Amino acid sequence: MKKLFALILALAMALSLVACGGSSNAGGAADTSAAPAATGDSSGTTLRLVNGKIEVDAQLKELAAKYKEETGVNVEIESMGGGVDIQSTIKGYYQAGNMPDIFVNGGSSDFANWDGLLVDMKDEAWVQDTDAEYVDDNGAVIGFPYTTEAIGLAYNADVLEKAGVDPTTLTSPDAIKAAFETIDSKKADLGLDAVVGYCAEASSLFWSTGDHLFGVYIDGGTARDDTTYIDMLNDGGKLDEARLTDFANFVGLLNQYSDPNLLVSGTYDQQILNFASGKYAFVTQGSWIGATMTADDADAYAAAGNFKVGMVPYAFQDGMDTIMTNSPSWWAVYDGPNADAAKAFLQWCSGEEGQDILVNKAGFISPFTSCEFIASDPFAQTIADYVAAGKTSPWHWLNKKQGIAQNYLGQVFNDYAAGKLDAAGFVSTMEQVCQAAYAN
Amino acid sequence: MKTKMKTSTFVIIMVVAILVAAYTLMPFFLVCINVFKNANNIVANPVGMAGMSFGQLTTNISNVVNNSNFNFWYAFGTSAVITILSLVLLALLGGMTGWVICRNKAKWSTAVYMAFVASMIIPFQVVMLPLISTFRDVGKFIGIPMLQSIPGIVFAYCGFGGAMTVFILTGFVKTIPYDLEEAASIDGCSYEGIYFHIIFPLLKPSIVTVTILNGMWIWNDYLLPSLMLGQNGKVKTLPVAVQAFVGSYVKQWDLILTAALLAMIPMIIIFLIAQKQIMAGMVEGAVK
Amino acid sequence: MNENTAGKKVLSLVLLVGGLAGLIGALAMDFSHSPVAFRGPLLIIGAVAILAGLYFYPTLEHHRSIINFLFVFPLLFTFAVTVLIPLGLGIFYSMTDWNGVKMNNVVGLANYGAMFREAGFLWSVLLTFLFVIFNMVLVNVIGFCLALLCTSRLKGVGFFRAAYFLPNLIGGIVLGYVWQFVFNNVLIQLTASAFGMRNSVLAATPTAFAAIIVVYIWQYAGYIMLIYINGLVTIPGDVIEAANIDGASPLATLFQIKIPMIMATITICTFLTLTSAFKQFDVNMALTNGTGSVQFMGNYLTNGTQMLALNIYNTAIAKNSYALGQAKAVLFFIILACVSLIQVRISNSKEVEA
Repeated sequence: MKKLFALILALAMALSLVACGGSSNAGGAADTSAAPAATGDSSGTTLRLVNGKIEVDAQLKELAAKYKEETGVNVEIESMGGGVDIQSTIKGYYQAGNMPDIFVNGGSSDFANWDGLLVDMKDEAWVQDTDAEYVDDNGAVIGFPYTTEAIGLAYNADVLEKAGVDPTTLTSPDAIKAAFETIDSKKADLGLDAVVGYCAEASSLFWSTGDHLFGVYIDGGTARDDTTYIDMLNDGGKLDEARLTDFANFVGLLNQYSDPNLLVSGTYDQQILNFASGKYAFVTQGSWIGATMTADDADAYAAAGNFKVGMVPYAFQDGMDTIMTNSPSWWAVYDGPNADAAKAFLQWCSGEEGQDILVNKAGFISPFTSCEFIASDPFAQTIADYVAAGKTSPWHWLNKKQGIAQNYLGQVFNDYAAGKLDAAGFVSTMEQVCQAAYAN
Repeated sequence: MKTKMKTSTFVIIMVVAILVAAYTLMPFFLVCINVFKNANNIVANPVGMAGMSFGQLTTNISNVVNNSNFNFWYAFGTSAVITILSLVLLALLGGMTGWVICRNKAKWSTAVYMAFVASMIIPFQVVMLPLISTFRDVGKFIGIPMLQSIPGIVFAYCGFGGAMTVFILTGFVKTIPYDLEEAASIDGCSYEGIYFHIIFPLLKPSIVTVTILNGMWIWNDYLLPSLMLGQNGKVKTLPVAVQAFVGSYVKQWDLILTAALLAMIPMIIIFLIAQKQIMAGMVEGAVK
Repeated sequence: MNENTAGKKVLSLVLLVGGLAGLIGALAMDFSHSPVAFRGPLLIIGAVAILAGLYFYPTLEHHRSIINFLFVFPLLFTFAVTVLIPLGLGIFYSMTDWNGVKMNNVVGLANYGAMFREAGFLWSVLLTFLFVIFNMVLVNVIGFCLALLCTSRLKGVGFFRAAYFLPNLIGGIVLGYVWQFVFNNVLIQLTASAFGMRNSVLAATPTAFAAIIVVYIWQYAGYIMLIYINGLVTIPGDVIEAANIDGASPLATLFQIKIPMIMATITICTFLTLTSAFKQFDVNMALTNGTGSVQFMGNYLTNGTQMLALNIYNTAIAKNSYALGQAKAVLFFIILACVSLIQVRISNSKEVEA
């Protein structure tokens, strides 16, 4: 009896000891990941960075390793992507008192979640070196730009050349339709599965349709300072019906010529792998797929001859000749105990060593003017050409209300692709859900 | 049933039984064959045996185990520690509570019993949101983190598992004749001694039952740890780690299926060892 | 003996006083927001010391009460903190503008009004009821048939029983993803080659809903089967033998003897499937995460396969409407409480009859 009672006591003690251990750990983030000894020894802080681009997870870990080598500061990279609602997850972290030191934010609605909780970095040196930093309404610099992204209708240059299609002529829906028809008729000769790799799967690829592609409706063909359609949308979810109808017809074209195995239930991996393998002439993803093609899918890409790629505008109306570029998201620093260390890390990232990895390894297109590296990314050239020619539009999808793509738009694209909606139904449903989304 | 079954009936029954078994085991089978393949082979040919190799299995396992986003061994260890601590405490405290409730016919003991039993109808969803804020506030107040910590979640499992544990164990104590305790008391055994010397040893079979019931639930639970520990926090259990891993990988089935296999193996091994007890325990828990 | 008692008394008093001092000291630090790290452990040590002091307190008169308290207190305390207090707070929060961290105003029943005006929520309620009805019937029928199968003269009964029960061991999250793989990667290849159907069954709302039901039956039927087996084997063999001698057909034996004799088991299984189907969350989340479009009450909804538990979770966690989510959860609680009360009623009346 005494023994058992002693056991209970001992258990309670053990529990409280575990508790002590837990509490002393809480600040220091001693994660038992790959390098167990190293984490404990380094007297410095451990920074935690939540990355939203899962495709460059390995490269960011390399960046972290380099930084640790130089400064002894440990940076943990926590990558999320795909279907994860990153903002919700971080809100959960906040609830649980587990905030990362640096985390990704996609735009005004994301930053609005953290009002008063982020560090103003306006005195940092890197701010002078870029014009892509995120500035909030009060003039505080709260977002560090780590890359520039571009989206257009990406194409396989080899295939287009063999099919006799000149990409520079594809600036109207009719021209694109004609090109699709031409390529479709020569599919077998060109070794293609389908003309377009367009995927409208709703539960994990909603961002590709509901955010990115819908962003084409918002900004296609507009001047860089034009905010007409995003302003309309943010004014109670209004849409321009004529413009949306043209857009719907264009999406209908994508539906028609896309790989049916991919269209409704496909995955991102499948989409990129097939494009990298030369099975599609076009793919509806932006510049970020370059990193996937040259890393995860490198074997398939090499087997397909490491073909040249480019982008044509999503010309859903005549004369649209621009691609869209933007800083897709920013890294923000949480105003916590490690804020200064985090700021130092970001400053380092904007410098030569940091940019070396971010540009040359991760394939980012640097937003910093002093950076002289040019990404080896397959899409770097085409983006540089569009930028040089002044043929870029802004890309405002980040400024629409949060969660719309996931909760509404992705599903509408999916229904359109699955044939449950026609073009007119797509337009009317879009109008309905946008209003509903902005109503609450 | 002394009558001999007709051969044709027997064949039909066997065929049906085998078909149903094939269906229930099919997902396990698919997992088992696909962990031997690389991602491209899985997507291209998920059913066939083509592209299977042991080398790929070890590659997949090492990719999962060494993936710092998944951190398999750490998650496995955390799950094991949380489950074992919770089960030990529940069995110990549940038995003590059940015995006291059963042997004291006072208003307070009835009230405690009724509170436990009534609480079994409370769905987790109705307490989960305030639970998190309560634990956060309590943790901040007393200076011991209750969220993101193993003691906190073990505490919560004791609270949530307590009702069913007490219910089943009280039911069992009722079946133990009171004479035994009186005899021991006359022999000079102290009040608490009666429990540890007489009752606790007799409770063992039903403690096995509650441990199985609680163990299955706690080991597989996703919602409570995902809320209390965060979806990708420092402390994570196996189900939370699987969810975070799958969510963060854009459907890399080679890694996901391997992770699923690794997550299933412990349960299946335990099942193979203690098949009878587990099935009997599950039934007993439901019928009570 | 006397010395022993005196020693115990001193020990008890030291523990009590020390524990109390520790407890009060720790609480004082807590209230003054002291950052001292050991205040938490001190609090626990203090509390444990008080309990130990109580245990060693040498009294014959109150010994029994003290032990009663010591035995019941720990579990009751965890129960109160994790269930009772959050339940009370939850019902209160559902009538406020609580945002998960703090509340500013009491809003009365506004959240309840809002949730009944939300078409998406009503759809989730409807879908949950459909799901519950389908499962209650299907899981019970299939579970019962499997039980008959496993109690017939089958070779390798042990294997089949284990094979049917196995899915029940695996957590909903893991098996949800495994089944997602089965539907999206395996089944799609079969349907594509057989019917040219290239869309996953998870892509369309009705088939995705059917898929969730299939997975749920797969997971649960084996468990229900075990309970039915348990009921079937309690039927005395001579009753069935007598029926056989009387020349009753197997079907007649089934409907006129077996089923009436296991009515209690049927009641248990019915309510077991009912409550667990209501609470379905993990599989729903892992398999479809509630996606799917549906036209309902003149609205285009995108939560076609989202059931109640997932709807509550998403309302609070993803959409950050904690008070609204809590109000939905309270309604969920009321529904389940009613179901449970009906169950108790039915079981009690059965017992009286029997």
